[in-house]
Amino acid sequence: MSGLSAGSFPEAAVRERARVGAAAAFPALADYGRALFGAAPAVPSGDELDAARLVPPVFVPERLEKLIDLAREPLHGDVDLGAEVGGFTSPLPLYLSAFGSTQVASADLGRAASAQAGALGVPMVIGENVVPVNGYGRLDGAGGRSLLGRISAYADAVPDGSGGVVVQQSTEDADAEVWNLVYSDPSARPLLDSGRLGFELKVGQGAKPGLGGLTVVDSADAGRLSAQFAVEDVFGAGSGRALRSASPGTFTEEILRQQIRLMRNNFPRARVWVKLPPGRDVALAAAVAWEAGADAVTVDGAEGGSGWAPTSFLSGVGLPLAECLRRIAGPAGCLLVSGRVWEGARAAKCLAAGARATGLGRAALIAVDEDPEAGLTRLVECLALELRLLISALGKYRADALTPDDLWSPTGWAVPARTPAGTVTR
Amino acid sequence: MDTTSAADAATPLPAGPREHLSSPTTRAVLRLQHTVLDATREHLGGGGFTELLPPIIGPVTDPGARGAKQVDVDYYGHRYKLMTSAILYKQASLTAFDRIFCIAPNVRLEPLETSNTSRHLAEFHQIDVEIAGASRDDAMAVAEGLVAHVLRRVVERSAGELEVLGRDPDAFADLLSGEPFERRTHTAAVADLHGLGHDQNPDAEIDWAGEAVLSAKSSRPFFLTDYPKGSRGFYDKENPARAGRLLNFDLLAPEGYGELCSGSEREHEYGTIIARMRETGENPAKYGWYLKMVREGIPGSAGFGIGLERLTRYIAGLESVWQASAYPKVPGVVSP
Repeated sequence: MSGLSAGSFPEAAVRERARVGAAAAFPALADYGRALFGAAPAVPSGDELDAARLVPPVFVPERLEKLIDLAREPLHGDVDLGAEVGGFTSPLPLYLSAFGSTQVASADLGRAASAQAGALGVPMVIGENVVPVNGYGRLDGAGGRSLLGRISAYADAVPDGSGGVVVQQSTEDADAEVWNLVYSDPSARPLLDSGRLGFELKVGQGAKPGLGGLTVVDSADAGRLSAQFAVEDVFGAGSGRALRSASPGTFTEEILRQQIRLMRNNFPRARVWVKLPPGRDVALAAAVAWEAGADAVTVDGAEGGSGWAPTSFLSGVGLPLAECLRRIAGPAGCLLVSGRVWEGARAAKCLAAGARATGLGRAALIAVDEDPEAGLTRLVECLALELRLLISALGKYRADALTPDDLWSPTGWAVPARTPAGTVTR
Repeated sequence: MDTTSAADAATPLPAGPREHLSSPTTRAVLRLQHTVLDATREHLGGGGFTELLPPIIGPVTDPGARGAKQVDVDYYGHRYKLMTSAILYKQASLTAFDRIFCIAPNVRLEPLETSNTSRHLAEFHQIDVEIAGASRDDAMAVAEGLVAHVLRRVVERSAGELEVLGRDPDAFADLLSGEPFERRTHTAAVADLHGLGHDQNPDAEIDWAGEAVLSAKSSRPFFLTDYPKGSRGFYDKENPARAGRLLNFDLLAPEGYGELCSGSEREHEYGTIIARMRETGENPAKYGWYLKMVREGIPGSAGFGIGLERLTRYIAGLESVWQASAYPKVPGVVSP
């Protein structure tokens, strides 16, 4: 453990899962046969996804189909969690989100998370700030902590035919030509040749929609950085630290459309992902991205993000993930979402509301911090068991079979039926 | 020469520079290339063009190279780039002369998949031309005239080299017939390729395999025009009468040799260039010197760049473009 903390997140529960795995999906074994259980009183929550419930039906025609198929009563173990996630094949409707731009996320945890995500065969996004902070790893001797170090940690562990690595780039680090570097680097070639390399255009992020990256830097570095970033002394002259702000980048419908087309033109063998902030026009932006040919749109709810942000933004800016899902209802392409996902129920609610897969961000970081060897693996094992239990309870046996009918919300979840798979238009 | 990482070029790479430089083939090719350069200078000089020597490094360079990585240079603590093309300087140079050309060295760390296209080099040269006040049609006429002149001189002066290379001068008879080069739009080319069963993205460049297919069907060079906006750099002008289409062109060689040249009418309005930079994912902040010149006014223009090694390859009938370079840098291959 590194002393990493996540006060606004169910950290203790995530750490328990990283230690014990699937057993953490249930109450303590010692209480079995001794204690009485039952639902706790509903706790008022500002988070509509938390407030929503998954609602199994009495009549289950899809279970009958499965029964006929199997010639026996189906069980939760018969649920196929396999998913097509942004052009990649994944055994689970999950991916590893990019970690934020803080020092926390850029330490060796990134490499540990990469190796475990690779072994699990789930896609992984590598954040924009890895190159500026830890280097490429080609001529700079940065080794395993670098971008290429993380790619090789993943590629060494990933099974054939599964997963993929998605490298993020934003307006500011377009200068560093991260995509061009990866696309032309020999170490990424096995992923490229097997169709398992993607690039994510970062339009914005959950924790601070409307802002670019914010980091705290040593005052000594301020001069060097001021050519590229705004550097302000907001912490007092004696602190020795300064605030470094990057631009959020300017987007219009046409700018987003053409940037995506240029990505497809310049990197024809890479998948194209687009990461949107929880903006009020998130549905329009997602539609533009899919129409321009994006293989996936990832949406970070306002509750997402591991990075450093002004408290005013954390508490009062951006649409909650539930509202993003409601606005994008019936997505015309692959929708991936993240924001406080760490266990099966929230993940299943997102799938029911139209997402193809959910991202693990903070939960993955905490899990590898708890155990760099297997923490993420155990967290995912537990989450996968919960997903199987929940999806089979809903009378379904595929992760992509969930629909808004499977959700009940105290405020009503008026979501039109999602577009059936296979009708994505370009 | 270390050929372990990407040695799948069509023709096996030479064991070393001595073997390459002393081979009769290389000698004939380089003498032919000398004739090409002589004829280029003769033709453009006679047409009122001034030859400039382009810069090799600068704070910023052409971002329009499909998927290639730029090379960073530490310039007294500032990150500079080796030129991927001379485009920004070509536009700026029109504040000195109305008609300029350069024989410009370019370096692009191309994706490794280009090592077996037979027509990519990480280091190459372009015959770069820019004309103030010109339209796309003007630039296409200059490109067509230049290629025809070069071929005429090669046939007149380099018969010996063509013979050593086994290249029949009759291959150029159609080109030298005086008939204008055919013109076809990108949309028509995409439709052709779809008709042939080739899966071409209609919003993108014609891919390398598609170019080879189109090129193989022709017996003299031809133009492709009106590429979609998302396929090129910010400096190719958008057609005001046809949104989303650029006033640009490629010149393709026949016989499967593929692209020789790219050109366009240029954007030169400050606000449009900034918006186009964003559409191409660029951060305008790093283009400081260029944008200052644009803001203060540069002439409208049109121009093009002909790949010298590609032109040489076509004329000499070579299997691979690296054979047209004395010190070839095939993408990914460590070589002198």
